[in-house]
Amino acid sequence: MRPLTHNLLSSHVRGATEVRINPVEFNPDFIARMIPKVEWVLLLEAADTLHLVEVPKEPIQGYEHNEEFLRKMHHVLLEVEVLEGTLQCPESGRLFPISRGIPSMLLSDEETET
Amino acid sequence: MDHAAAQLEKQHVHDVYESTAPYFSDLQSKAWPRVRQFLQEQKPGSLIADIGCGTGKYLRVNSQVYTMGCDYCAPLVEIARSRGCEVMVCDNLNLPFRDQRFDAIISIGVIHHFSTKQRRIRAIKEMARILVPGGQLMIYVWAMEQKNRHFEKQDVLVPWNKALCPQPLSEAGQPGRGRGPPQHPPCSACRCSDCFEGRRGSKRSHSVDCDTVLAGACCASTAEEGEGENGFYSTLGKSFRSWFSSRSLDESTLRKQVEKVRPLKNTGSWANGTISIQPSRHSSFDLGHPETSSTGEQNADEEVFVEPSQGPLEWLRAPTTRKQLNGDHPGVMRRNGGGNFLGGTNAKENCVDEDNVEEGTAPGSKLWRRVSAADSTDSNPGDAIPVEEQQPDALDSRAFMRYYHVFREGELCGLLKESVSELHILSSGNDHGNWCVIAEKRESCD
Repeated sequence: MRPLTHNLLSSHVRGATEVRINPVEFNPDFIARMIPKVEWVLLLEAADTLHLVEVPKEPIQGYEHNEEFLRKMHHVLLEVEVLEGTLQCPESGRLFPISRGIPSMLLSDEETET
Repeated sequence: MDHAAAQLEKQHVHDVYESTAPYFSDLQSKAWPRVRQFLQEQKPGSLIADIGCGTGKYLRVNSQVYTMGCDYCAPLVEIARSRGCEVMVCDNLNLPFRDQRFDAIISIGVIHHFSTKQRRIRAIKEMARILVPGGQLMIYVWAMEQKNRHFEKQDVLVPWNKALCPQPLSEAGQPGRGRGPPQHPPCSACRCSDCFEGRRGSKRSHSVDCDTVLAGACCASTAEEGEGENGFYSTLGKSFRSWFSSRSLDESTLRKQVEKVRPLKNTGSWANGTISIQPSRHSSFDLGHPETSSTGEQNADEEVFVEPSQGPLEWLRAPTTRKQLNGDHPGVMRRNGGGNFLGGTNAKENCVDEDNVEEGTAPGSKLWRRVSAADSTDSNPGDAIPVEEQQPDALDSRAFMRYYHVFREGELCGLLKESVSELHILSSGNDHGNWCVIAEKRESCD
């Protein structure tokens, strides 16, 4: 699970026991277009939990053309992968596992029958 | 009622896909061109979700967008992941995403697996929730109206015959469940209680390698479990038991089954076919349970009842094919004229219960005219199952019954208009035997 995915979830990363860095081809246009969609608070929280460094704190002026910025964002959004870890729902506290890179977000029968 | 619906889906959607996942591969699942086109038309930098992604055949269609795949079936998701896709296991009815995240969503061959109208609506509304205003949702569902086939009912169980499949994947991406060699396909049921217990415990399907296995057997035990909850579900189980519990599905046995409506002894096999499920107002298949239908809640459109039609069920050969309507069907080799069905017998224009046909028609052709099969339009008209030629153990342990609610023309649009007002239909049509809709999330939504 990549931080970009995490950014879309309603649950947040609570911990990770296995994280991998994968090189991914850099596509500046793609990253530039992702920037407006990023929830920065979540991203920073995830970065913190995953002990990522060099994570921009916010979009900078003219980011679309700032290769250094875009490369950093590319790295944090797409090249980090949580292989084993846990996600947590901020409301219920419910934990969800990430295993072999796959988050499993299924609720039990009891939980869905609310 | 919802619990019973969930149970049905677990039995005849989730568990089947889990069990059959090893037999999936890219080659087997067809990517519909129109879906590919929809994905390719999305703006670069879009966030896209494929809800019900299966093995992920659509996840890499467009490299300029970020596509996430979600599926309920962990083994399928693992296969997608092994191909380098970003995927997760989740439930269409409870998507783990925040509101208004995705620029586009596809739902290809998914909604038809929900067994009640309410659940189908809920699934669509969940997808609408996570769509940005102005974002588009594409939905494909199996059509009831088919060129070469006729579904008699909208709620059907479709078997899948592994015997017609290529060898299962042997590489990574296979959930290591300890499945046996290909000759022994995972079965959806073995010793009932074992199997059922195994399944209850976890999402992982309890795939037991058995040569002769009864899908119905598991249903039966499930039914017992669920009996207190919902009459119809228990009816489902018990009806199945009666169908599948006989040792051999030769004609006479089947006749006995139908006429006497009594559970027979174990069967190793049962013929492939589409069993229509319809409201069970007067079950001719009453297995001694007066409440064959869940009475009060019964609502033709919404409930799934197991009730074979007034007469005997029609056994049809309706294997899934490579050229499935829905790309996420397991690919099964389609044999022209019925080649090697179920391990070796050829197809004659014959049907299992030929003598049990309602009108008592002669075997073969007449039956076929009114028989329905669950196949894509570009498949051949059904090859019958020459059951009397089949050895008991050559038959079906390999068939897994999948539940579908096939949609009538206009039904999907009607559903959206009536119940999902946040979506506005942009276009709709038929594509290879599927009803398809592209809808847009309205800008001003609460």
